[in-house]
Amino acid sequence: MSFVMLTLLGLVFGFVLSKSGASDYDYIQRMFLFEDLQLYGIIGAAVVLTLPGLWLIKSYGKTASGEPIVIPPKPAHRGNILGGILFGIGWSITGMCPGPILVNLGEGKIYALAALAGALIGTYALGALYSLFEKPLGMPSIEDGPD
Amino acid sequence: MEAWLGKTTDSGKASLCANSFFGPGVVALEAGVHSLIVGWERPLHWGVAGAVIAGVVLVLLFRFNRALGVSTGLEDICALWSRRPYFRRPGLVRAGGWRLPFWLGLVLGGFVSSALAGGWAPTWDLGMWDTMVAGSQALKVGWMFVGGLFIGFGTRLAGGCTSGHGIFGVSNLEKASFVTMLCFMASGIATTFALHHFFGGAGS
Repeated sequence: MSFVMLTLLGLVFGFVLSKSGASDYDYIQRMFLFEDLQLYGIIGAAVVLTLPGLWLIKSYGKTASGEPIVIPPKPAHRGNILGGILFGIGWSITGMCPGPILVNLGEGKIYALAALAGALIGTYALGALYSLFEKPLGMPSIEDGPD
Repeated sequence: MEAWLGKTTDSGKASLCANSFFGPGVVALEAGVHSLIVGWERPLHWGVAGAVIAGVVLVLLFRFNRALGVSTGLEDICALWSRRPYFRRPGLVRAGGWRLPFWLGLVLGGFVSSALAGGWAPTWDLGMWDTMVAGSQALKVGWMFVGGLFIGFGTRLAGGCTSGHGIFGVSNLEKASFVTMLCFMASGIATTFALHHFFGGAGS
C-alpha cells in the first residue's frame, strides 16, 4: 500500500516537473540566464505554500496515523557552501537536478542515463572520501551522519 | 495554436474576478487546469506547479512522516551494494528506503507526461545544447557524465539538492538550506553565463 502511494506521489511530482519545464534543459538555461522566470516562480510558489503547511503540521505534531512528526535537522557546515557550488555547476552543465534526471529518463532522454551514472559515482566518491572532508569542513561524524 | 486562441473567453471570465481577494489564485488555477486539458504544447502555469509540489511535500510528511529530498536516494542506491560505513550509517538505514518507490514514480511521471504529449520515444534531443555546443553523441554522454559527477558529489556534500534544501529546507527555515541554495543558484548562474559566453550562445 505505501509502496503504491509513494510511487503515485513520485509520479505526480515527476509529471509536474516534466509539464512545467523544470526538467527541460532550455528552461534551466534560461532560468540561470534570467531570460525566463518560470522556474523561479515554481520554486517560489512551492516554498510560499509549503511554509505555512509545514508550520501547521509541525504545530499539530503528529502524522495522519498519530505518530510524532520527525524532521531530521539539516546540519550546517562548510560542506553546504562547497557542495552547493559543485552542485550548481552540475545543474547548469546537465540542465538537470536529481529529480529531473529521473524524469528525463522516463521521458526517454537517453543521455540522462549518463548523468545518473555520473551522479551515482559522484555519490559513491563522497561516501568513500567522507572522512577527508569531515574535519576540515566541520561536518558531522558518519555515525551521526545526515538523515 | 487553436486551443491557445480558444482561451480568450476563459481569460475574459477570469478577469471578472481579478478584483476579488482570490482573483490571482483563480486566474492561476484556471490557467493551470486549462493547460492540463488542452495545452500540452505549453508549460504548466508556475503557480499550479508550485502548488502541486507543495501538496506532494505536505502529504509525504503528514502521511509518511518523511521530509522530501530526492538526492539522498543516490545514497540508497549505493547502499544496495556498498558496505562502506557511510552507506551503512544509522541515519540512512533508519530512513528505510522510502525513496526507491518515490524514484520509480518520478521516472513514471516523466513517461506519462511525454506519452500524453504526443507519444513516448527514446531521444537524444537536448534543446539549445544541440545548436550551442553542437557536439557529437559521445561528447553529449561525456558532458552529462561529468555534470552528473558534480551533481552526485556536490548534493551529498551539501546534504541536499533543489528539493531537500531548496524546497523543504528553506520552507522549514533551515540555515544550512538557505546557504546551500544561495550557493547552488549563484554557481549555476555563473556556470551558465560562462558556458554560453564560451560557446557563443544566447548569454554572450
